[in-house]
Amino acid sequence: MAVKTNTSTTGAKTGRLAKAWQPFTRVSMLSWLVGAFAAVILEQLVGRPLAYMLGLGKIPVLFGFVMMLKTPLLIPSAIVYVLLIYIFPIAIIARLTTSVGNKLSAWLLRYPMAVSALIHLILLYGTLQIWGSINDYRNLVLRLTFIAILVTLSLNIINGYMGEFSCSTPGFLALGAYGASVISVSMFANDNLFGPAIFPDSWGVFVFPLALLLGGIIAAIGSLVVAIPSFRTRGDYLAIISLAFTFIVKSFIENLEVVGGPRGLSSQPDWANFTVVFIWVTLGVWIMNNFVRSTMGKALNAVRDNEVAADAMTVNTRRTKMVAFMFSAFWAGIGGGLFAHVLRYVNPATFGLQKLAEVLAMVYFGGLNSVYGSIVGAVGFNLLSEALRPLEIYKWIIIPVLLILVMIFRPTGLIAFKEFDVHAIIAPKE
Amino acid sequence: MKKSQLLLLIALMLIATVFISACGASGPKTIKIGINAPLTGDIPKVGEGTKYAAEMWLDDINKDGGLDVGGKKYKVELVIEDNESKADSATKANTKLITQDEVLAIVGPQSSKQAVPAGEVANNYKTPMISPWSTNPNTTLNRPWVFRAAFLDPFQGVVDAKFISDEFGFTKAAVLYDVASDYPKGLAEVFKKSWEDLHGAGSVVAFESFTTKDTDFSAQLTKIINSGAEVLFVPQYYNEVALIVQQAHELGWKGPIIGSDSWGSAETVKLCGSDCYGSFFSTHYAAAGATGATKEFIDRYNAKYGYVPDDVAALTWDSLNLLKQAIQDCGKITGDIAKDRQCVRDALANIKNFPGITGNMTFDDQGDPTKCAVIVKISDKGEFEFYKQACP
Amino acid sequence: MVSFFQNLVNALQWGSFYALIALGYSMVYGILMLFNFAHGDIFMVGAYIGFFVATGLLALTVSGSIALPGWLVLLLTIIIAMALNSIVGMLVERIGYRPLRDAPRASAAITGLMIGIILETGNLALLGAQRLSFPPLIATETYNIAGVNVTNKKIMIVGVALFLMLVLHLFITKTKWGMAMRAMAYDFAIIPLMGVPINLIAALTFGLGSALAAAAGILYGVAYPILDPYMGILIGWKAFVAAILGGRGSILGAAFAGFLLGFIEIFTATIFPSTFRDLIAYSIILIILTFRPHGLFGEAYSARLRL
Repeated sequence: MAVKTNTSTTGAKTGRLAKAWQPFTRVSMLSWLVGAFAAVILEQLVGRPLAYMLGLGKIPVLFGFVMMLKTPLLIPSAIVYVLLIYIFPIAIIARLTTSVGNKLSAWLLRYPMAVSALIHLILLYGTLQIWGSINDYRNLVLRLTFIAILVTLSLNIINGYMGEFSCSTPGFLALGAYGASVISVSMFANDNLFGPAIFPDSWGVFVFPLALLLGGIIAAIGSLVVAIPSFRTRGDYLAIISLAFTFIVKSFIENLEVVGGPRGLSSQPDWANFTVVFIWVTLGVWIMNNFVRSTMGKALNAVRDNEVAADAMTVNTRRTKMVAFMFSAFWAGIGGGLFAHVLRYVNPATFGLQKLAEVLAMVYFGGLNSVYGSIVGAVGFNLLSEALRPLEIYKWIIIPVLLILVMIFRPTGLIAFKEFDVHAIIAPKE
Repeated sequence: MKKSQLLLLIALMLIATVFISACGASGPKTIKIGINAPLTGDIPKVGEGTKYAAEMWLDDINKDGGLDVGGKKYKVELVIEDNESKADSATKANTKLITQDEVLAIVGPQSSKQAVPAGEVANNYKTPMISPWSTNPNTTLNRPWVFRAAFLDPFQGVVDAKFISDEFGFTKAAVLYDVASDYPKGLAEVFKKSWEDLHGAGSVVAFESFTTKDTDFSAQLTKIINSGAEVLFVPQYYNEVALIVQQAHELGWKGPIIGSDSWGSAETVKLCGSDCYGSFFSTHYAAAGATGATKEFIDRYNAKYGYVPDDVAALTWDSLNLLKQAIQDCGKITGDIAKDRQCVRDALANIKNFPGITGNMTFDDQGDPTKCAVIVKISDKGEFEFYKQACP
Repeated sequence: MVSFFQNLVNALQWGSFYALIALGYSMVYGILMLFNFAHGDIFMVGAYIGFFVATGLLALTVSGSIALPGWLVLLLTIIIAMALNSIVGMLVERIGYRPLRDAPRASAAITGLMIGIILETGNLALLGAQRLSFPPLIATETYNIAGVNVTNKKIMIVGVALFLMLVLHLFITKTKWGMAMRAMAYDFAIIPLMGVPINLIAALTFGLGSALAAAAGILYGVAYPILDPYMGILIGWKAFVAAILGGRGSILGAAFAGFLLGFIEIFTATIFPSTFRDLIAYSIILIILTFRPHGLFGEAYSARLRL
């Protein structure tokens, strides 16, 4: 009896939720983005006075989470703020523009898909840029979260798509970070290791991509240390080969006095602003998404599911593994280079076991074998760890507990094995 | 939930909001100070010392009814952020403190690996920052807004080398240090250089290293003992000191062991026991036989938290008092945060001979203090006894 | 030559810890095919339990209710802590691993990692940030044998470690329970049909591994008497390397690889400049695995590995 009522209430609840969602099922991505864009503009215009009126003092940085935990009295105000600034405007505009948005989406798709995708991206970029411009802390969190997406996705290629358990990401990050930093610091910064700047800072626009590419290429070459043994072994043994690689890279850089040893490298030029990070990360996600959806991606899955069978089916497993490792390491290296230039400091101790645990957590939290999953994992983990900051020590009890719950109820992560189909995302919803 | 219930809830929220905002608006003016400390991660003890010293300092201010600036009392609020002992987290914490919490100044982070990138942030946003404990020159180098309370390695290494030569007349020294941590490594290298300046090349007969979190040093110590060294210099943190000294004695080391300011914690003797008795180290202050404000600080801290404060706590205390001095020198708080920060920075830079509990301090043009070091001997009762003073 | 033997003695002690911890990894790994990344932190918990048991026993001795010599206190501490820690291990298995028995193995590895973080942070939140000093239960005596310094502690540590390994080996090869464990390692799917209670065996595996970790923790406390909440991370990951280096599920292999890792670390620090220790030591491991891709004593890779 009790069970029965219980199920009926939950059923009603989901029913009600679905009902509330009903008017929004046909809203296209374009309309959502326009709504979000309008919301951030609204925040820009009236956010400050509204926050003041509500007694918040200033605009809540991360949707009021930080504030709520610090002074629980402000919870109603923060909720009202989020409702008024984000939820209502987005919902209203998305609903109002549903039919226009769908028509526009359909019309855009008559041109090559890239056009429509680019317009969506520009809207997304504009939204985030304006949202981040309210406060530099927000901006920093945004940049680091974007980099985390790139790094998480690059590890997902190996651990999710290829089914290995690689622990080498901190090593790749370190190689990329140092590779890019050596170029930028030695030529464009006044620092006590390499002396005064040789070239003017304004060259950064051209040199920074090259520096990042160099970091990525160094990481890709470094990945051969892990990739070549992976021809003959996999799973557990590969896990410790990759772990040994991380130890080796860290120890190697600590002994490399040219780049500062354990003191690290600092005073990287300030090149990694949000625009740059956004461009690189979207580029990375786009290329990696194409990679995993190509025949190469299918080959990765084949290697994961049954290597012997894959070999029999003419999949060149050696080539597949090598390409996958180098590709993954390349993007991790780019992520490392961006990371170094966002922090404007890099030292070997950053790329240790702590970083490894963090990246692994993001990959498995988000979901294996899924670009969506990596985005959700990186964003969720980063927002969570910022939002729970006021809890101090207890933060690192609550986050692991949440992750364990996710693992128990969704063992492959929140959104696993789902294709990231750009066309389906930007298509009209009717 | 029916529609009417939802409306009721929203209405209630709005009422609550108005009520709270009414309360919030009429508060007294407060001065916010950010603390950026490693409460979790590798070195939680350092974070704890920072937090405790800061809370004690705040108690003092509150007891006086606020901070007196130009005849007006201001309430002081500490915003304590955990940097998880990670560089990126320290940067985020500093950015949050500066742009979100709008603190007047920041004390911390402690380790150089967080202080260097966090200092960059503070300097960019023109917010005064004092790192109590960081010894990496890059923390303050070319950053007019960043200060520190500790003396730098180049000074301390020379002091130690000179002290050993004068006191014992030895010519062959060995060094054991953590290669992956920049404080011990920097100090070890300066010591090696100044020792070889005194006694010629090759007089450091063993220069051995290990990696952070190692606990077995037998291979390195065996090498050191076989090298014929007369004295062992260990610029390490207290937890490693205890292990190194005990293992050295087990392996048959007989000579003296000399340390640096990172030994200056009550935990050194607690963890190391009688093995450390008779050793010397250079530090900021000697807890046993301390007088005046130093003694008062130690006693109060001990009474409140149950142990003699580390150097981190003492340096944090000094940093906060330097800040207090600077704010008071400033004369007034205008409420315009940029102006106030500028004023506090200028006042900090102009402080002369500040009587800190870790010695008198004057900042040089890089924001580094010039202060004296003391050589402390660990007595047979396990107390830190004043032995000698060395000034630059 | 003297220095060689001295280093040999040092390496034996250091290797004992790797070996004891690696055994716990290796058992879970061989029998349940799981990475138990919480094992390093279970080792830490074992050391802390040992600390409290030893302090409690010493307090009783001092207050005069019982009079025990130091070695007996140590023995009792080891036994009690092993029992208590095996309960911790079984709890970890129940909470973090059993619900994930059918999930990808890597997911279970992540829960292990997270349980590890909870154990570390929980310890920090409960006991505060100060490090604890393990009570010196037996007085150190140093014997000088032909120039080589050997302490009674070193002998005891290596002796107890070898004894525990022998007991474990006998348990696994000679008893009914051990046979069930080996059977489970052999085939995970069929064995329950033969009436082997897999949940019980899995719990037993974790319990035994954790008991060994507790013994390692206490011996560690005797040799390096400083406990802090993060002490298990680095040694745990390195023991993990040893466990897999030994070969999948090979108990002897794990023990041997533990000692081998100890030897490699000590001797690279001795022969080369010690700054290059990690660089060289792990390059050696990498080279070993490149030429013996299935570990020292492991069977060749088979396609039915599931990850």
